[in-house]
Amino acid sequence: MVKTAVQGEARAASFRLWMTAGPGLFWIVLFLLIPSAIMLGLAFFTNSDFGSPVLPLTFGSFSEVVGYGILGWSGANATILLRSLLQAGTATVMTILFAYPLVFFIITRPVNARPILLLFAVLPSWTNQVVRTYAWMQLLNPQAPLARLAQDVGLIDPHLGLMPGNFAVLVGLTYNYLPYMVVPLYAATEKLDWTLVEAGRDLYAKGPKLFFNTVFPQTLPGLLSGIILVGIPAFGDYVVPELLGGDRATMMGSLIAAQFTFAPNWPYGAALTIIMLVFTCLGLISFRWLTQRLGGGEEAML
Amino acid sequence: MSQYLPPAIRRGLFGFSIPVYVLLYAPLAIIGIFSFAPSLGHSGPNIAGYSQLFGDPQVMAALRRSLTLAIGSASLGTLLGTLMGFGLSRFRPAKGGGVWVGTIPSLIIYLPIIMPSLVFGLSEMIFFNFVNQHTGMLSAGLLTMGIAHVTFQSPYVALVVYARLSGLDKHLFEASHDLYANGFKSFIYLTVPVVRPALIGGFLLAITLSIDDFTISFFTAGPGSVTLPIYIYGAIARKGASPEIDAIGSLMIGTVIGVALLYHFVTRRRERQLVAVA
Repeated sequence: MVKTAVQGEARAASFRLWMTAGPGLFWIVLFLLIPSAIMLGLAFFTNSDFGSPVLPLTFGSFSEVVGYGILGWSGANATILLRSLLQAGTATVMTILFAYPLVFFIITRPVNARPILLLFAVLPSWTNQVVRTYAWMQLLNPQAPLARLAQDVGLIDPHLGLMPGNFAVLVGLTYNYLPYMVVPLYAATEKLDWTLVEAGRDLYAKGPKLFFNTVFPQTLPGLLSGIILVGIPAFGDYVVPELLGGDRATMMGSLIAAQFTFAPNWPYGAALTIIMLVFTCLGLISFRWLTQRLGGGEEAML
Repeated sequence: MSQYLPPAIRRGLFGFSIPVYVLLYAPLAIIGIFSFAPSLGHSGPNIAGYSQLFGDPQVMAALRRSLTLAIGSASLGTLLGTLMGFGLSRFRPAKGGGVWVGTIPSLIIYLPIIMPSLVFGLSEMIFFNFVNQHTGMLSAGLLTMGIAHVTFQSPYVALVVYARLSGLDKHLFEASHDLYANGFKSFIYLTVPVVRPALIGGFLLAITLSIDDFTISFFTAGPGSVTLPIYIYGAIARKGASPEIDAIGSLMIGTVIGVALLYHFVTRRRERQLVAVA
């Protein structure tokens, strides 16, 4: 009797859950999960002369992805994949190098000044992606003061700007995603137990040793979230390489987008997307594995 | 806690961080300066970019579309997101609840957040294209863009609302039940007041996400639904930098910064008032 009452209550709760959360979940399934499944399925179709997917099913697109075309093997795709990984990785490291001092600067300010300092660190990322990237185009182009300074110092050849190119893409990515590193790192640093730092100092630890033994492990959950929040979108970014990159700095995003726009080859584009998602998932899985091994970082998760 | 850091390190942090802040705002400031740049043969600030912008029917139409899209999608996104956040925090069993109730909803909610926006946009483009070919519905335009925006807004709103509710004492609901409030009444008199800050914050976040987005909008837009970011992107691709784009960019940056600061100070003041009352 008691058991059925409990069961009834559980059933009522699950009914209410589906009544409230259901519509939103259904929306995401219908307008994102199913569309992305269709998109991945396209990879196994054959490309027609008009760039649309037709039967029969094949693995042809994947051999195109690894570089086999009508002209034999080429390493172009591998280069673009490696470049994307490298750029995303470097941008992530750059955001870490900027974010740590910035976060510790904010934390050393008086309590009521901290929210506004954090807000000012995050605000630029709330402006539109295109506007932000356009701003860097203005700052890095050959006529801009910054580029002239670099020319005068001899860093770059005269008449050459700092864009387009890999450097400009790296700058754009770092700028775009810095707040995504700052916010989780700040959340972790705010809860830092400073008595552990004191204890470390009492044990005569100094400098980097003190930092890596007391501060770093405590901020690690925030750092890992930051790496995911920066690394994954930077890897798949479209706007920054498109506007700041030029032909020799193409990344995965532009290559994929091209297959769905001016060089239509949907199956090939879908196969490239699978490659991108595989690397995204690898990143996420290793992140989960690391957080579980190192503990923490789960409380804000839904 | 700052007393734990020696002065030399604190000075170093200060010396490093101020240039970082400058660097964060330098590109935005450059656009502002360039928007007033004097044209050839003239001296002094020049507002040609701005007058050109306000006289351009294309830009004004794009602005109207952007605002319609942002407010419309944010309204629906906030509604769906709030219901998700509320339902998952209130009606999900404390211990997991198995795959169907525990894991799957979380995975679905994180999907739009984690998926690279290019893949997101392209998938929806293909899907809408497919539906349109077979049923004639959902031709690419503001509607399809709105659907896509709601898809990425609602999970963020859900997270904000969930975070707010999960900090709430569960016994409050039992107390309201003991006072003979039914589910609806306790929703109106307990949940809504508690969630209101998260609701406003979630709505503003949804609007910001909508205005900030380019990639997903770009791939779900149709020929008649050019919004401001898409207009700017097209203009850059066609003719590179121009005073008009500088002017649009400055106004967009100014609006976002203004709204964010306003929201920040309004909420801070209310917090302080509440503290004073308590």
